[in-house]
Amino acid sequence: MPKRRDILAIVLIVLPWTLLITVWHQSAIAPFLAIRKACHHLVKEIFIIPERLAVHHHRLSDEGGEGRREAGGQDSKEYCASDKDIVEVVRTEYVYTRPPPWSDVLPTIHIITPTYSRPVQKAELTRIANTFLHVPNLHWILIEDSQRRTPLVTSLLRETGLNYTHLNVETPKNFKVRGDTRDPRIPRGTMQRNLALRWLRETFKNNNSQPGIVYFADDDNSYSLELFEEMRSTRKVSVWPVAFVGGLRYESPKVNAAGKVYGWKTVFDPHRPFAIDMAGFAINLKLILAKPQAYFKLRGVKGGYQESSLLRELVTLNDLEPKAANCTKILVWHTRTEKPVLVNEGKKGFTDPNMEI
Amino acid sequence: MKLKLKTVFVLYFMVSLMGLIYALMQLGQHCDCAEHDLPKDRAISRLQEELYRLQGQIRQLEKAKQPEKKQPPKSSLSTIFVITPTYARLVQKAELTRLSQTFLHVPQLHWILVEDSPRKTPLVSNFLMKCGLTYTHLNVPTAKERKLQEGDPSWLKPRGVEQRNEGLRWLREDRKTEPGDDGQQGVVYFADDDNTYSLQLFEEMRSTQRVSIWPVGLVGGMKFESPVVEGGKVVRFHTGWRPSRPFPMDMAGFAVSLRLVLANPDACFDGEAPMGFLESSLLKGLVTVDELEPKADNCTKVLVWHTRTEKPKMKREEALQVQGLGSDPAVEV
Repeated sequence: MPKRRDILAIVLIVLPWTLLITVWHQSAIAPFLAIRKACHHLVKEIFIIPERLAVHHHRLSDEGGEGRREAGGQDSKEYCASDKDIVEVVRTEYVYTRPPPWSDVLPTIHIITPTYSRPVQKAELTRIANTFLHVPNLHWILIEDSQRRTPLVTSLLRETGLNYTHLNVETPKNFKVRGDTRDPRIPRGTMQRNLALRWLRETFKNNNSQPGIVYFADDDNSYSLELFEEMRSTRKVSVWPVAFVGGLRYESPKVNAAGKVYGWKTVFDPHRPFAIDMAGFAINLKLILAKPQAYFKLRGVKGGYQESSLLRELVTLNDLEPKAANCTKILVWHTRTEKPVLVNEGKKGFTDPNMEI
Repeated sequence: MKLKLKTVFVLYFMVSLMGLIYALMQLGQHCDCAEHDLPKDRAISRLQEELYRLQGQIRQLEKAKQPEKKQPPKSSLSTIFVITPTYARLVQKAELTRLSQTFLHVPQLHWILVEDSPRKTPLVSNFLMKCGLTYTHLNVPTAKERKLQEGDPSWLKPRGVEQRNEGLRWLREDRKTEPGDDGQQGVVYFADDDNTYSLQLFEEMRSTQRVSIWPVGLVGGMKFESPVVEGGKVVRFHTGWRPSRPFPMDMAGFAVSLRLVLANPDACFDGEAPMGFLESSLLKGLVTVDELEPKADNCTKVLVWHTRTEKPKMKREEALQVQGLGSDPAVEV
């Protein structure tokens, strides 16, 4: 009998503790991870449509092999096959010029794009609009460098079907780039970006709880769709590598083992406070609203310091969040479009000036 | 064996102490998750509900469809086969990325990407796998003497000839395996990887019966090159450069119906043709100027632009590489 009593006592003592530990483990850790994972999964499954469709739309090429790969390059998710069907159905509803349905869960990405009139303008805006049409919860703020809103841009924006805001402000002549020399002392698009920041602050000052991310996108760069999903989780300012800037294959922030940015992997003036291109960072809207004095510096900005002039008022190096797999993947390319050679137009213009190009 | 009470108590305290420490450690780690969890949790469960609901709908639809069709349902739209030659250079991935983003909006599009390379490169293979389009990946290298060298201007030798011909050859081979009228329905379009295409263009070309044409922006040294249409027929061509060519237009300015391509198995691009005559070398074997179908509102709208991307400046990269400090080549650009 003493044996049983002792054993009973031990069991009674140990049992509640084991219960506590197992329950605590499950409730505290798992939901947190599960939410992260589930959210991640759902966003990637439902919204990054092209990636999933790779499974369905494979054609057997001559050399075999390629055709039958089942989601080869993906970190495969454990959803059952019917999820893939859903993605396909959702996709076929996206007949062209219709952006993905607005979600109440995802933060809005506000894209600020300055633009100016030149022969390739319509082409650039067309193809960047084709890119943006894939991104859910996107709000495009397009600012023209002109005295009045041009009909070309107005009708283009309307036809795309995107959620947009059309602004304009003309850069005074003494600030404009002379000819086509890339004089780094005169930063292009500064006034337009500042106007967009001011518009954001005026529009969202009351509705402080609406989550949003601000990204400065030039109209001639190339963006992968993955980039927009990476920037959605920005808390303050997130950064990533950009290809073809600074005379290098790519420029990138230096990230240490703890996942913090401690420097910049660039050749051109790596000691700038933020040696990063305009396309290499995104800011949380809350931060923009919290610091209403932060704007791009207009005058007296050295070449390459424009980004720093805004970022140093918002955040320190320590607060930067590295994205794109700890800054090891290229998701945005700083491409530039050649100026078209219009020799045959001659002095009077050979082609019909009424035709919009 | 009798257990002493003291031992039991000691054991109890040890266990409880360890438990407390463990709990405190866990508490210290994720302190900021409590507030965010609940709304996120709700959002997740709502999304999941929607997901399951849609899944259920799909299953119902599938069940309804099942008895009728065994094959995948054929769309009533004719397929557009886009043949794009490409070659390895710095901006290749960027160009292909944004081109694919345009193509993803076009239903019933089959992308035939032909690399100028003796082997299929992993960059393009991986890219195509993830792009989400229906595609065919081919490759054929251009002979050395036909290839442009470093300092050559872009107009010196015709580019992409072998690749486009390879695309045509594959298409003809592939269609042999799909007999019947449906297999012959389609339009073939030659799209370069650096041009810009509006989505309306693809809808205009879908109704091509033989060869359709339209204006192209920013080409031929002008704002746009265009056929001149009178009475629904092309009467002449508005171009500033060599208008005496049989078909003075750019590669991006026309589309050929699949039927015509299959009916003329020998029609292909002639690499020996003089500069600017590449398009004519194909079209003269297929159609006469009179038979051309003008699109884009009787050739009054520009729906495609012959944009070119600058070669990125690599001076610093080259300087670094000489020192052995070039950027990590493992990072794919």
